[in-house]
Amino acid sequence: MPRKASLHMASQTSAVTRRTVLGAAFGLGVAAAAGCGGPAPSSSTDTGEVSGTIRLLTPIFEGAEGQKTLEGLLATFKQKHPKVTVEVDYTTYAKLNEKLTTSIAGGRPYDVMLMGVGWIPPFAAKGVLADLGESADGLTSRFNKRVVDPGVYQGKVYALPIMLDTRFGIYRKDIFAEAGLSAAPKNFDELRDMGRKLTKREGGKLVRAGVDILSNDLRQTFLPLMWANGGELFTPDGKVAFNSPASVAALQLMTDIIVTDKSEDFGYTQPGAATGIPLVQGRAAMMVGHNNVWLEIEKNAPDLVKDGKIGFFPIANTRAAMFQGGTLGTVAAKSQHPAAAKALVQFLADSDAALAACKQRGNVPALKALESSEYVKANPSVQFAMGNLDSAFSEGGVPAWLEIRGDFKAAIESALLGKKSPQQALDELAAKATQVMARS
Amino acid sequence: MRVKPSRVLLHLILATGALIMIVPFAWMLISSLKSHAEISAYPPVIWPTEWVWSNYPNAMGFAPFGTYFRNSLLIAIGHTVINLALATMAGYALARVPFRGRSLIFMAILGTMMIPTYTKIVPQYLIAKGMPFFGGNDYLGRGGFGWLDSWWVLIVPGALTPFAIFMFRQFYLSLPTELEEAARIDGMGEFAIFGRVMTPLVKPAIATVALITFENSWNNFLWPLIVTTRDDLRVIQVGLAAFQQVEKTEWAYLMAGSTLATIPMIVLFLFTQRYFVQGFATAGIK
Repeated sequence: MPRKASLHMASQTSAVTRRTVLGAAFGLGVAAAAGCGGPAPSSSTDTGEVSGTIRLLTPIFEGAEGQKTLEGLLATFKQKHPKVTVEVDYTTYAKLNEKLTTSIAGGRPYDVMLMGVGWIPPFAAKGVLADLGESADGLTSRFNKRVVDPGVYQGKVYALPIMLDTRFGIYRKDIFAEAGLSAAPKNFDELRDMGRKLTKREGGKLVRAGVDILSNDLRQTFLPLMWANGGELFTPDGKVAFNSPASVAALQLMTDIIVTDKSEDFGYTQPGAATGIPLVQGRAAMMVGHNNVWLEIEKNAPDLVKDGKIGFFPIANTRAAMFQGGTLGTVAAKSQHPAAAKALVQFLADSDAALAACKQRGNVPALKALESSEYVKANPSVQFAMGNLDSAFSEGGVPAWLEIRGDFKAAIESALLGKKSPQQALDELAAKATQVMARS
Repeated sequence: MRVKPSRVLLHLILATGALIMIVPFAWMLISSLKSHAEISAYPPVIWPTEWVWSNYPNAMGFAPFGTYFRNSLLIAIGHTVINLALATMAGYALARVPFRGRSLIFMAILGTMMIPTYTKIVPQYLIAKGMPFFGGNDYLGRGGFGWLDSWWVLIVPGALTPFAIFMFRQFYLSLPTELEEAARIDGMGEFAIFGRVMTPLVKPAIATVALITFENSWNNFLWPLIVTTRDDLRVIQVGLAAFQQVEKTEWAYLMAGSTLATIPMIVLFLFTQRYFVQGFATAGIK
């Protein structure tokens, strides 16, 4: 991306479009180059010792600090597997798809690829990923089932979870108390009522949003609302389901918050805004937010932590829901050293590496055992997420997901801006997604 | 001396335009010196109460930026030198050397400008990977990784641009034929006419192409990211991207890094601006 400030802004706005174009352009190349995939990695060599030089592509452990952390972990890995050398390629999630697809289409896949929730079916369906030979049921002894599921495609385990990132309700107890409210909303009606009550305007200008649904990525705000209302992204047989009445009602809720209740104005904030997170600044009473909002609170408003003024709640209506993203470790089907690659994935999914990755970003460990770790005990946001994993839902599930997901934002925005009704916006999105799925 | 109202109006419009252009840069510069609290304050704080100069060393410590700067500089200089050397010759040939199919070749060169960059990435990657005799490849380009993860792949693809050929052709077309004929009568060879008579007259085009090539190369992000895996081959733009993570953006560091990354372009423009404007103003004469 261009680094001059003006160009930088422009490039950011066009990033999704470019990514979509690139994703589509790469699709065929990946499919052609990947063929039917390769053999599942064996657990070890004849001598029982894994060996070889393997390449790792990682969108986490960025920056000097992250690299130092990963280098430390890899030194430990080297002690366990002295005959394995790991060459690391660092990237970011923003450009991970480009790196992955070019390397795969170019016939030079990475042995170990870390990727996000929702990414497994697209790459597994194209034969890019190796079956890890693990039992999904067996993994549930170490991980919550909801955490294992994103790494499973057509009954086979293609990825092991390393860390999770979650989205749920966060609220300011002090602002709630001022308004005479003692508990977080338990359903959509309460969410709207409380939102209206907590909204504050001065001379017509919004100074406090009752409920902030704009600080988080719009798709990742809509989805937990949809799940909480009983909706699903896709049917079990892989057909589009996100324009069902339950899903439309979830988008209707978002539209009502902005258009009808005016509990927040469109443009009041945006994900990653340089002006900070409104809830932290007292400019919002509650929000749908990322678990690492906690880090921002600790840094910029430590008194809120000290005085216990922050609370969390699962998004709920017909059921409780929490958005679950995360990073998973996979092995390339064409890896020349599958046993070494699998050993690295297992190492990264194990407690030491997973904990280090989570600490660096304020994220949620995937391993059940880490719930009792000092890190989790010291972070109420992470604690809440781990305690509610039974209500966690993940996006994706179909091979065309990476091509579909970028269109959600425009559809949601069109409803929030009143250009289309929620039904119309989701119907059009569903039609487009169906076309993409049929094509791929 | 009486100043015409129209002149005042003109300067007012130009000053407003200049202000609009400079505000993002000024904002970047000021933000690069703000504390984390002030950069995320609401309402936004324009003037920092505390000037955090440490953002610069901290940003530079975030990743090996010294290496990234050096790499970007070498690649940008490499691209600029190659582009100037080859595009002047190509432009001259298309403008002044009559041969069959000249127009067709020129049209084909212009046509390549219409191919979206993103559609070329995978084919270019495959070409680089299949380069014979490099990176363990045999004579058919098999068995190794060709130019991938090397300086070759960072410098050669994209070193010659169709835009530069177009610019030079237009400039060479605008030069009088008499110059060329006089040199020929004096016994100069074709290459000497090109190098010693005609090319010194297209300085504005040289400055324009040099600046644009350097800037594009300096700002290139995706290609260097895709074709390299080693940190010692990464460029400044890839380094800056590390400040933007999914969960958060290190705004102060990003602004500090962006400020430093912008300086070479500003310096280059200051030195070449006269020719640069002239180059664009006269590019379409013929």
